[in-house]
Amino acid sequence: MTVGIVTGAARGIGAAIAQRLAAEVDRLVLVDLAPELADTAVEISATGTEVSPVQVDLTNDDGIAAVAAALHDEPIGMLVNNAGITRDARLVNMTEADFAAVLAVNLGAPHRLIQALSGRFDQGAGIVNIASRAYLGNFGQFNYSMSKGGIVGLTRALAIELAPRVHVNAVAPGLIATEMAMGIPDDIRARMIEAIPMKRMGEPSEVAELVAFLASARSSYITGHVHVIGGGRSLT
Amino acid sequence: MIRTDDAIATLLSHLTDAVVFQADDVDDDWVHIAAELNEAFVATRPAAIDGRPVVYIVSSDALLGRTGAGNAMVATGLLSAARTLAVEMAKSGVPVNVLGVGDDAPPSIVAAWVERLLEPGGPTGELVQLRGAQIGKALP
Repeated sequence: MTVGIVTGAARGIGAAIAQRLAAEVDRLVLVDLAPELADTAVEISATGTEVSPVQVDLTNDDGIAAVAAALHDEPIGMLVNNAGITRDARLVNMTEADFAAVLAVNLGAPHRLIQALSGRFDQGAGIVNIASRAYLGNFGQFNYSMSKGGIVGLTRALAIELAPRVHVNAVAPGLIATEMAMGIPDDIRARMIEAIPMKRMGEPSEVAELVAFLASARSSYITGHVHVIGGGRSLT
Repeated sequence: MIRTDDAIATLLSHLTDAVVFQADDVDDDWVHIAAELNEAFVATRPAAIDGRPVVYIVSSDALLGRTGAGNAMVATGLLSAARTLAVEMAKSGVPVNVLGVGDDAPPSIVAAWVERLLEPGGPTGELVQLRGAQIGKALP
């Protein structure tokens, strides 16, 4: 029995990752704060994979304990830290509360979750931390890009600490066709796509495919790296 | 605002309008990591408002994750934040850079490079690493 864990699994990239990982593990523990998690869990369990939804806030100890409890002492084969939020503003207008909130969800929660679960990973297990192309720098995202840069450092430190049992990588998506991206005004989104060499948004399923590979034992010789999936946008 | 090791701070004490923030050593407790990143935010925001230059000093080993998760998160978090602020301040020509140093870096060399990286019209959004400890290693 192998368990996979996906955080931020209710919607968007996280839901696509959960769908794709269903084929790789015996049971999925799906975590999100949003009530839509229940629908995603039902949808995925229809494919035959056992799904345990855990609707909690990972920024507090109770939320992390609930995820640990949902494992029922089974070894973890895959962990994908995907949950994240944005509170965008130029630094000149950014409040300390918005700064701290983004850091707590995007960086503190994955770090504390891995601390709580360390020692429970199976031989050959994979951890994938979802960063963002914004870790290279992005206007209006001092807090978000710091959190995503921080997750790159966390990935490197864990790759050293957890080897050779576990391999750890980061995936940095660019513009992906999620609800979040569709919320960007049409004209601005069109300009963003124009700057992408592949001339389109990425699909959540494309990110999920990369994550599934990096979380599996098939990639166990790849560890401590950031894999950008952005249609070439980091070059233009 | 100079928040660095004492020896470096003494050498930079004549700088009146720059923000120079050196990452402190932290353990792996999220409370301490968050506090350190928050200090960087509080130190940097006034510079963004007034259009003053910023240099973060981080450990080269921490950038590669060699000294624990806490130090790695702080170092790489500061690097990404500096890149973002450099984008936000690009039009003003005010630089925002990061200096990567080893434990044995002489304070005089560190201070000299900080001053170089604060100069208007020079590089911005860049990481400069003293010594060659990163050659052949992962790009940050």
